[in-house]
Amino acid sequence: MAGTLSKAVVRWGAALAALLSLVGGLTLRGSASTARPSTALLTGLSAPFAHAADALPPAGTVGAPPAGGPAPGPSTLPASRPWDAVLIASFNIQVFGESKIAKPQVVEILARVVRQFDVVAIQEVRAKSDSVIPRFVDAVNADGSRYHWIIGPREGRTVSKEQYCFLYDMNRIEVDAGSIGVVPDPGGKLHRPPMHVRFRTRVIPASKAFTFWMVDIHTDPDEVPQEIDALVDVFAAMRTARPDEDDVILLGDLNAGPPQFGRFTKTPGVAWAVAGVTTNTHRTKTYDNLIFDRNATTEYLGRWGVVDLQSTFGLPLDRALEVSDHNPVWAAFYPCESSGPAAASAGIAGLATPVR
Amino acid sequence: MPAHDPSIAALVERMAGSDTGERAAAAEALCRAGEGATSAATALVAACSDVDDGVREWAAAALEELGPPPVDQIADLISLAAADHPLVAYWAVTLLGRGGEGANSAVPVLGACLAPEKAIEVRQRACWALGRIGPAAATARAALTVAAADPDPRLSRLAGEVLATCGR
Repeated sequence: MAGTLSKAVVRWGAALAALLSLVGGLTLRGSASTARPSTALLTGLSAPFAHAADALPPAGTVGAPPAGGPAPGPSTLPASRPWDAVLIASFNIQVFGESKIAKPQVVEILARVVRQFDVVAIQEVRAKSDSVIPRFVDAVNADGSRYHWIIGPREGRTVSKEQYCFLYDMNRIEVDAGSIGVVPDPGGKLHRPPMHVRFRTRVIPASKAFTFWMVDIHTDPDEVPQEIDALVDVFAAMRTARPDEDDVILLGDLNAGPPQFGRFTKTPGVAWAVAGVTTNTHRTKTYDNLIFDRNATTEYLGRWGVVDLQSTFGLPLDRALEVSDHNPVWAAFYPCESSGPAAASAGIAGLATPVR
Repeated sequence: MPAHDPSIAALVERMAGSDTGERAAAAEALCRAGEGATSAATALVAACSDVDDGVREWAAAALEELGPPPVDQIADLISLAAADHPLVAYWAVTLLGRGGEGANSAVPVLGACLAPEKAIEVRQRACWALGRIGPAAATARAALTVAAADPDPRLSRLAGEVLATCGR
């Protein structure tokens, strides 16, 4: 739920950055010049909301009609990509590097997963080469899809680095090119500080379209309580990062289930999509999730799922583990800002109740 | 470097072989085993110095998923914590920290890992590991006090936290 989006780029000023610096020692990068990573990280983004179009896309390019019916529930792929929902996913593709991209059967499964969603936040790109994601996007687009990517810098305290990546369907989603960055962490509270990007759906006119931050995170399994605590501050800072945006979706591999969500569970309004279902391939942990403020992000439709790689693609465990040790998780959001009938009429059946 | 599970032991053997592709495939298989590869902990730490990027990446990813190391591997991990290779030392220190109080014999080497000439990520992780080991970390108080005054904010903070729990 946010105010009307100005077409002008809203720069983050130094004063705002200073204000944010008061929040737990974590700040967002405070100016346009530092908010952006090197242009080498981006491709084809030269204007705010690149690929933007104010008109509805031509009929037939925005997916199937409204699915209707009940929420799909957990352990499923979404039934289709309807015009009345933005499908957002998170996927830890374990050690996504040269060896994985060289396995066609694995790439095919990964591509089929991505094509189900409008935006996918990926964790664990691990490669010395910069060609892995472009090659993967080529595979995703081999069926005529039009996905694009944004990839972050290599992060991590050792020589073994990871990158965050966002893949998005250009037919349905556009990027605020001035919004791309990594949360600065001068105190070293986060092993891999999260990457943030602001998106807008293109399936309805821009003046009414749902806009939202996505904040991609992969926590350090050895410092989960401390990192979750820091992420509460990141979440709060993102919510005030710009006056015209209060929709923040923090998503990724948290290495923690809802009972370990710490101060998130005590923050009024904060909710998470995935609960009561395992999200790893071994079906033992609920580590992947999407966290947002249900009072602000009323666009949440109460529909979510976990794509169980074994059952969805008919893979035995060892083959599913070749794809990843995590299953993708997803949630659906109404494409109109705020006052749409989304949450109110659809109910919040899949909305987790925070543990308090 | 014991690895009691026969299938894990076979992978450990492959990971020590001369063929790069075989070593990488073995490290990947150990990674896919998740916590089931715990008995390969020491071998995976040693593989972090492999000349091949793929072996190192899979070994590091496997180590992220392991729980506490087997007690009978603590001594080998103490030796590896003193390694010059930062990634080897980092993961040995991490596993010792996961060992908690059961790894209290590692306090001297963890104290040594706080030395300024060590890589910063090793120093930081040694602080974290000492915190996990608990009261026995008090014998590393001198090194922790130096670390608490270090200009690196993370190292300083972690050292201060350990000192606060084991007494300054």
